[in-house]
Amino acid sequence: MVQEKKRAINRLQTMRPIRAEIDETYKANVEASKAGNPIAWAMLTIWLGDAIFHAMDIGATYPESYGAVCAASGAAQSYLDRSDEEGFPTHMCGYARNCIGYAARMMKDCGGEIPPEAPMGGMPKPAVLLSRGMSCDAGFKWFQALARYMDTPMWTLEMPIPGVKEGLSEEVRERNVAFMTKELRDFVSFMESVFGRKMDWDKLSQTVQDLEAIGRVWYETSELRKAIPCPMHSRDFWTCMSGPSTPTGDLKKKLKLYQDLYEEVKDRVENKVSAVVQEKYRVGFTELPPWHSLKLFDTLAERGWNFVVETWGYHPAVPIDLTGVNDPLERLARISYSGLTTSCFQGAAQAGEYMGFLGYPNLKYAEEYKLDGFFLHPLLSCRAASAHLWYVQDRLMQKLKVPSLMVEGDIVDVRMFDLADALKKAEAFEEIMDHYKEVRKKEGMEW
Amino acid sequence: MYFAGVDIGSTMTKVVIVDEDGELCSRIVGPTGAEHRRLANRVMEEALKQANLPFNQISYVVATGYGRVNVPFADRQITELSCHAKGVSSLFPNVRIAIDIGGQDAKGMKIINGTLVDFVMNDKCAAGTGRFLEVVSDALGIKVEDLGSISLRSTNKVKISSVCTIFAQQEVVSYLSEGTPLEDIVAGLHEAIAGRVVRMVKRLKIEPDVVLTGGVAKNIGVVKAVRENIGLEVLVPEDPLLSGALGAAILGKETVLKALAKGELIPKKERRLEEATFFT
Amino acid sequence: MPVAEETKGLSRVKELYQDRPQRVKELKGEGRKVIGYLCIYPVVEMMTALDLVPYRLFGDMREPITKADACLPPMVCPFLRSSLDLALKDKYPFLDGMVMAHICDVGERMAHIWRTYVDYPYFYFMDVPHTTHKSALDMFKEEIKGFQKSLESFTGKEISAEKLKQAIRVHNDQRALVRELYDLRKTDPPLITGTEVLQVMVALAGIPVGEGNELLRDVINEIKQREEKSPKQAARLLVWGSVIDDVSLIEIIENAGANVVMDDICVGTRSHWSEVELTPDPLDGIAYRYLVGIKCPRTFREAALDPKGKNYMADLENRFGYLKDYVRGWNVNGVILQSVRYCDTHGYEVPAVRDYLNSLGLPSVYLEHDYSQSSLAPLRTRIEAFLEVLG
Repeated sequence: MVQEKKRAINRLQTMRPIRAEIDETYKANVEASKAGNPIAWAMLTIWLGDAIFHAMDIGATYPESYGAVCAASGAAQSYLDRSDEEGFPTHMCGYARNCIGYAARMMKDCGGEIPPEAPMGGMPKPAVLLSRGMSCDAGFKWFQALARYMDTPMWTLEMPIPGVKEGLSEEVRERNVAFMTKELRDFVSFMESVFGRKMDWDKLSQTVQDLEAIGRVWYETSELRKAIPCPMHSRDFWTCMSGPSTPTGDLKKKLKLYQDLYEEVKDRVENKVSAVVQEKYRVGFTELPPWHSLKLFDTLAERGWNFVVETWGYHPAVPIDLTGVNDPLERLARISYSGLTTSCFQGAAQAGEYMGFLGYPNLKYAEEYKLDGFFLHPLLSCRAASAHLWYVQDRLMQKLKVPSLMVEGDIVDVRMFDLADALKKAEAFEEIMDHYKEVRKKEGMEW
Repeated sequence: MYFAGVDIGSTMTKVVIVDEDGELCSRIVGPTGAEHRRLANRVMEEALKQANLPFNQISYVVATGYGRVNVPFADRQITELSCHAKGVSSLFPNVRIAIDIGGQDAKGMKIINGTLVDFVMNDKCAAGTGRFLEVVSDALGIKVEDLGSISLRSTNKVKISSVCTIFAQQEVVSYLSEGTPLEDIVAGLHEAIAGRVVRMVKRLKIEPDVVLTGGVAKNIGVVKAVRENIGLEVLVPEDPLLSGALGAAILGKETVLKALAKGELIPKKERRLEEATFFT
Repeated sequence: MPVAEETKGLSRVKELYQDRPQRVKELKGEGRKVIGYLCIYPVVEMMTALDLVPYRLFGDMREPITKADACLPPMVCPFLRSSLDLALKDKYPFLDGMVMAHICDVGERMAHIWRTYVDYPYFYFMDVPHTTHKSALDMFKEEIKGFQKSLESFTGKEISAEKLKQAIRVHNDQRALVRELYDLRKTDPPLITGTEVLQVMVALAGIPVGEGNELLRDVINEIKQREEKSPKQAARLLVWGSVIDDVSLIEIIENAGANVVMDDICVGTRSHWSEVELTPDPLDGIAYRYLVGIKCPRTFREAALDPKGKNYMADLENRFGYLKDYVRGWNVNGVILQSVRYCDTHGYEVPAVRDYLNSLGLPSVYLEHDYSQSSLAPLRTRIEAFLEVLG
């Protein structure tokens, strides 16, 4: 009798229908576009733009995610090469290069039709581009560069990010929220004139409500991961993370799926079921995962590495009190600004830390999730997600005696990441994690 | 009248003497070595001997290439980009894109009616240059000049994924230990170098005629791979190393003939055939 | 020791270019407070209005980066790495404070990193919006107000609207004087070289605005009366791109046989071309000038929103139309686009700028370097080849 090899990562059952639903969306977008429905290419706008698309019946596709899809399927290389040929620097964001190369191919070679080799049905030609200015410059510079290939109207959503000290006052918060709300309102007017249809404000309010409900469940689920052993691995998190902020498909159905997820995770907590066969190390991941080499985590799970929390803009929004806020746009602005961007600012200020959106969450999570170490993944082409990692490594060690492992790679260029090398480093890092566990014990720290 | 072109590349030094009809009177190719500052005059002497000419019969000398500042007897220095463009156009009048893969650099030149109008260069990274082939042929234990014929036997070339020459070397070693046929590895390496160079040149918008020069153009495997990557016919001159020196000599000729036609003085300086000194 | 006569004009410029902190050290000795800042978004008028001495920080191309490696990875802007490196090496003991702004991804993150590792009595981070939407302008005005309040709190003094307007006028005077200086580049050959202009701009960045104005007047007079002229060259070039704070690159270009007659960099036209309009509430004029007036690719600019669709050429005209004025006014016949490696802000911009320049029939070449002396030498061949293409 053949003994089935037990999978090292104990994936959540309830993750699968969520993943299926997300996969469906790509196909749905393509179909909708073929049927004449407009499609937007959007950057991930951390809660801001997507509800608006949904309420106006405009499909959205996300070139950042598509970059990850192309990387994982091995299709990215030809688009990256094309971007080089078009004269764009090679050090640019891999997602941007992938998308620019794709756009050049689609518009110049295929007359605006989806290229035949594009994985997962491809991305249809967009009717509108939505970019953002906050977490990275590429966010708007890249979409601006797409104007070379398509005469598509574009909007950039503003997302202010003050310094920790500068941003503490209520005055600054209210001003920034008012700014973002006005921006969203202008964005809605823009969309109305581009598509010749009016915003359905009731639908928007309902959509925002639905998203908030999903977001709350998602947040609670994430909090459950603090349990020892951790019931949900980062791989499941990454598979499901787009749900609460990208409102595609039937939102009521989606809420149910996330509630099921929560229940399964809660159940695991009660029964002390771990996400990996034997949790030896509780590790955090920072920032963007190597989509093309996710099997790294399976191998590490076999060694007892449980990835229990991740940082970056997709960490769940902290639920905030929105009583009295009836304007759905203002709700979105507040969730984005206070629930995400500045949610850690108070804590950072108290801890004397100056980096509030990135950086401090690492310290916070190390404590709350009782982490033995962080896996820091600097990316050759993403300065936004890498520039601070040396600093983060230092702060974690200085303040909490938590070590971190630095393993370099790239988000789409698979040649930059060396799996064998990463595993070798990880093995050596285990000793370091063991050592600092002792150090923390001696210093009387909780974990 | 006679005109000389001196092309001091990082690996090879080339000298060409042409007459006023552009006919080749002599050609010398030799290794540059570490002492290229002192080499130029010696190579020039050889070229003069071959053409049976005294130095003072040379109306104009143009120096080009990496070491062009170290040719004290040159009347003018012109970059290898312009010189290659000129040299290639004289051999292939309909050339639009010239690609030169040298020992330590690679260049793409856009040419319209014999004039350089745009260019791209890689001189920072060994991958995509002759150096790449030297390093990997060393790892394979075969001579660089045999790479071409070996690769033509391949029916199933491997994929070299490393961007960096050093890592590509490691990939080669690991393919060898797996027992992969030599010709497949070599063909894969040719694909890697050709792909890299063509990607760079595509920024110039490739159109025919396309000409390939440089030491690496003697490798029929690379020529084939470049052809496949571009999807167009790729022409290679009989002597792929000479286009820079040839172009330099022709540019010298054009300078002088133009001046004469206008009745102007030939724009050159007093010069003697001697070594370059370090502190001129 | 004999008292040396005070150097003036271009000699003074060269002095200040070689030894940048010379003047602020003297002022510090006289009891003045010096505030360092990076880039051109920190509002200098505010600092001047409180009698603080704004001192713009640059990097050092000749100094190998060592200490900054512990705080920043190697694949980020080497200019910013160098700037931080110098601070960590305690090259700025005379600074009473620092102001940084959200100039770019690495700039923003580095501001917080810098603040962590170097202690100052005063530090302020200015958030700058990324678009020129009306709501962005309104937000930015509030942000500047916040900056003002923090400076007032630091100095214990208040800035009256009148004091602020005075400061605006003096800074506007400098901008007008710089344009006068640049007029001297219109002739053929230009009366002042690109190298000299860069030295002037670097010198201005390290001294109080009033002293800078005096220096400019001296330099302009000196140039106008100068006998020796730089040689006439066929190539009259504009240099575009990321920060240049060292003359080496300009020297290489000019030595190759070209006149650098104009620029679009932040140690040049970007920092000084646009004036602050004296609006009744001075903050309106300031916010507009800094967010809209400064032409830097870090700000998202597009043609007036046309819901019917986009027109690429109209968009390019809106973004880069000012270059046409430079080209025509200074009779430019070629453009050198340059940026430091890893600069995303400028890297994304290059193909669009080249498209625009192509539409004007202007040849251009793009050079990338890593902000070190050794990285410049290989650029010589490209520059020379470009000049040969220009013919």
